[in-house]
Amino acid sequence: MAVRDIEPILLELDRLEQMAESGYYNPYTMFDWPDAIEPDKPWMSENLTTLAGTPMWDELTREQQIALTKYEAINFFSLNIHGIRELMSEVVMRIHERTYANVSEFLHHFIGEENEHMWFFAQFCLRYGGKLYPAQPTLKADSVDHLSPVAREMIVFARILIFEEIVDHYNAYMATDQTLPHIAREINRVHHQDESRHVAFGRMIFTNLLGQVAKRDPAEVPLVAEYLENYLQYSIGTLYNPAAYRDAGIPDALALRRRALEHPARIEAHDRILKRTRSFLTKAGVGRDVIKR
Amino acid sequence: MTEPMQAVRAFILGRNPKLGEVPDDLDLIDSRAINSLAFVEFIFLLEELTGEPIDPEELDLDDFRTLAAIQARFFKQKASL
Repeated sequence: MAVRDIEPILLELDRLEQMAESGYYNPYTMFDWPDAIEPDKPWMSENLTTLAGTPMWDELTREQQIALTKYEAINFFSLNIHGIRELMSEVVMRIHERTYANVSEFLHHFIGEENEHMWFFAQFCLRYGGKLYPAQPTLKADSVDHLSPVAREMIVFARILIFEEIVDHYNAYMATDQTLPHIAREINRVHHQDESRHVAFGRMIFTNLLGQVAKRDPAEVPLVAEYLENYLQYSIGTLYNPAAYRDAGIPDALALRRRALEHPARIEAHDRILKRTRSFLTKAGVGRDVIKR
Repeated sequence: MTEPMQAVRAFILGRNPKLGEVPDDLDLIDSRAINSLAFVEFIFLLEELTGEPIDPEELDLDDFRTLAAIQARFFKQKASL
């Protein structure tokens, strides 16, 4: 890892650290896990499924609709688990680097909390669904090789931030959705609570590193913006897992996925999911508007 | 060119409009025409075109490196019909 070219990250994190300490809880004892999920209840909010708002949802039987909420909940939590695995491994490797000495205290809270989130997401999937979906295949050759070391460093934290903001859109809604089983609501609520601190931290570290990128070479900012836009689109795509459609008994999963991704109602839904993040990126000077096509 | 290969080419051009064309021997991975963010979508496209699942555990990157390799690995039988 090339962090020598990067200036030490100095952030005012006292308040976030105090909140992490005062809000600390034991995840292993705080949930009351029922033996089973009540039948006929959706596992995730119906209007957050990937077919919501399209005729493809209306064409499903009620059994298929409930099954889709089940398998998309497992997919959503599986994505969380794989996302956490990725971010934890990145952060662990940096935690005692000189660049991060000033934020190391908060990074310890961050890793600890993320490990706990990973545990309760997996508990939910394995207890009630009997499985996780595997991580998506990736290329070893990375798509950031064309960027400078500081921009690549920024991308590490940008990916974490974007991932957390998208997930939080779902968590915030499901935390209060009374149609869901209590345990599903609780997991979303607890995660939403912790993530508000992580997102606040993520935005601060992102802004710091983006400043370093722009200072070194302003011409690199549009390249970073292009990567981030592609990452937003990639992240949306991962929500549409053909394996979840198949498990829900819906035929022609790949064609359905393609049709769903392109459907105007879904494009509007994607805009809603990404609205807060896009607005942040634009204000930071690295939104879609600066990409050179 | 067979219909599935046209769809493969259209996918690559759609994501890389600056390329203009995709030579059969262009290294799609080294040139970043297919990067890690596009790779999942590309696998889904190939699965749909071939009607066969692709096991992520069994992936050989060289099968995806050029249009010629993709044709040989995924569409050879269909192309010879």
